[in-house]
Amino acid sequence: MRQALPSKRPLWILLAAALLFHTLLFSLQSSRGVDSGRVRHWLLDSLARIEKTADVAIDGVRGVWQSYFALTGVRSENEVLRSEIDRLQMQLARQSEDVLEAARLRRLLDLQEPSLGKTVVARVVGRDPSPVRSHLTITIDKGRNHGIRPDTSVMTPAGVVGRVISAGDSFSIVQLIVDSQSAVSVMVRSTRRQGIVRGIGTRDLKLEYIDDDSELKEGDELITSGLDRVHPKGLLLGVVTQVKPGAGLLKDVTIRPAVDLGRLEEVLCITEPPKEAPVPASVSNSR
Amino acid sequence: MYRIRTVTTIGRFVMTFAAVVVVQGVLPHHFRVFSYFDLPLVLCVYYGFTLNRPGASILIGSALGLMQDSLSGAVMGTNGFSKTLIGFLAASAGGKFNVDQPIARVLALFLFSLADGLVVSMLALVVGDAAGPAFDGAYGARLLSAAFNTLLGLVMLGYHDRLSHATT
Repeated sequence: MRQALPSKRPLWILLAAALLFHTLLFSLQSSRGVDSGRVRHWLLDSLARIEKTADVAIDGVRGVWQSYFALTGVRSENEVLRSEIDRLQMQLARQSEDVLEAARLRRLLDLQEPSLGKTVVARVVGRDPSPVRSHLTITIDKGRNHGIRPDTSVMTPAGVVGRVISAGDSFSIVQLIVDSQSAVSVMVRSTRRQGIVRGIGTRDLKLEYIDDDSELKEGDELITSGLDRVHPKGLLLGVVTQVKPGAGLLKDVTIRPAVDLGRLEEVLCITEPPKEAPVPASVSNSR
Repeated sequence: MYRIRTVTTIGRFVMTFAAVVVVQGVLPHHFRVFSYFDLPLVLCVYYGFTLNRPGASILIGSALGLMQDSLSGAVMGTNGFSKTLIGFLAASAGGKFNVDQPIARVLALFLFSLADGLVVSMLALVVGDAAGPAFDGAYGARLLSAAFNTLLGLVMLGYHDRLSHATT
C-alpha cells in the first residue's frame, strides 16, 4: 500500500477547505442558535427514508422467524396468557366501578376530561449511529408535515420518552430523557415537591434541584410538572430507585425511567399540548 | 465518457455510504451489540489504507461524518470534522508506513477509534452540543467500541487483501 504521493499542496488546500467547511457548519449552529439547518433536514429526510426501508425489512424477517420458526412453547405460553386474561378481566370489572366513581367526582368538580391534546403516532426507525452514545437519540418516521416541531413532547402509554430536537419534513430526531443534556421539570406524585430530572448518559436518571428531599423514598413516582413548557403536566416519568446521602446538602436520588427506552417501537408525539384545565372556583377560593 | 464514469463512481460511493450510515442506525435499534460498531469510522480508515488517494479519503471522511451527524442528535459538522481528519491521517499513514502488518493495523484502528471519540467530544464541549459530549465517563464502553472497530477493520482489510491477491 506504500506509494509515493504526488505534490501535497492541493491536498493541504482540500484538507483545510473540508475542515473549514465543518468548522463553519458547527460554529454557525452554536453561535446563532440554529439547531437544525437545511443541510440537516435534507440529509435527515433522504437518509431516514432508507433507514425506514431497512427497518421494515428487518422487521419483516424477524416477523417471519417469529411466526413460523420460533413457535416452540406456544401452547404453554397460551395457557399462561389465558389465565392472565381471566385475572385481568376480573380486575377490569372491579376497576370499572372506580372509573365510574371518578367520572362522577370529576363532574362534581366541574373539571374537563383529562387529555393529552393532539397527538401523532410515530414509528421508531433508527437510533443514534454513533457508538457509546447510542440509545440517547432515536429517529422517528414523522416530521413537520405531521405537525411535529422541535420541542415536541414524545411519550408512550408507559410514560415520557423525550423531546424532538430536530424535525425534517417526514422524519425527526428525538432526544431521549436519558441523554446527558436532557432535563425535565418534574414533581413527586405523592408530595407534589418539584425538581428537575437530568439524564446522565446511562439507563438511569438523577433528580436535582428539588426544594425539599426529606420525604423522598424509594418507590416514589415522578410525573412531569409542565413547567418546562415541553411536556404536559402529569405524565409519568420514572420511579425513585435509590436515595442516598449526596456530596452536598441534597440527597443523591436515582430514577429509573418508566419507559424501557431500549425497546421502543412506536411512540406518541404531542403536537398540540392540552389546554389548561380551568381551576374550579371552589378550589381556587380555598387556596 | 470519463466524466460519466466519474459521476457514476461518485454516485455509487454516496449510495454505499448512505446505506452504511443508515444500517449503522437501524441495526443497533434491533440488536444492541451493533451500537459498539462505528462503521463510518472503520470505512474511513479502510479507504484511507486501501485507496492510496488522500484527497479521496478526505472527501469520503467528510461525507460519512456529515451523514452520521444528520442522523444523530449531534451538532452538524462535529463528526464530519473528525472523520475528515481520520480519513486524511489514515491515508497519510497508508502512504508512509507499512500498514499491511496486522500489528500496525490493530494499533492504527484502535488509536483512530479513540482519537475520533476524543475529537468529537472536544468539539461537542466547545460548541455545547445538544446531544451531549460522548466522553462523559463512558471509558469502558469507548474502549470496547474501539476493540469492536479494530476487529471489524481487520476483517475488512483482510478481505481486501484476499480480493487483491486473487485479482493479481
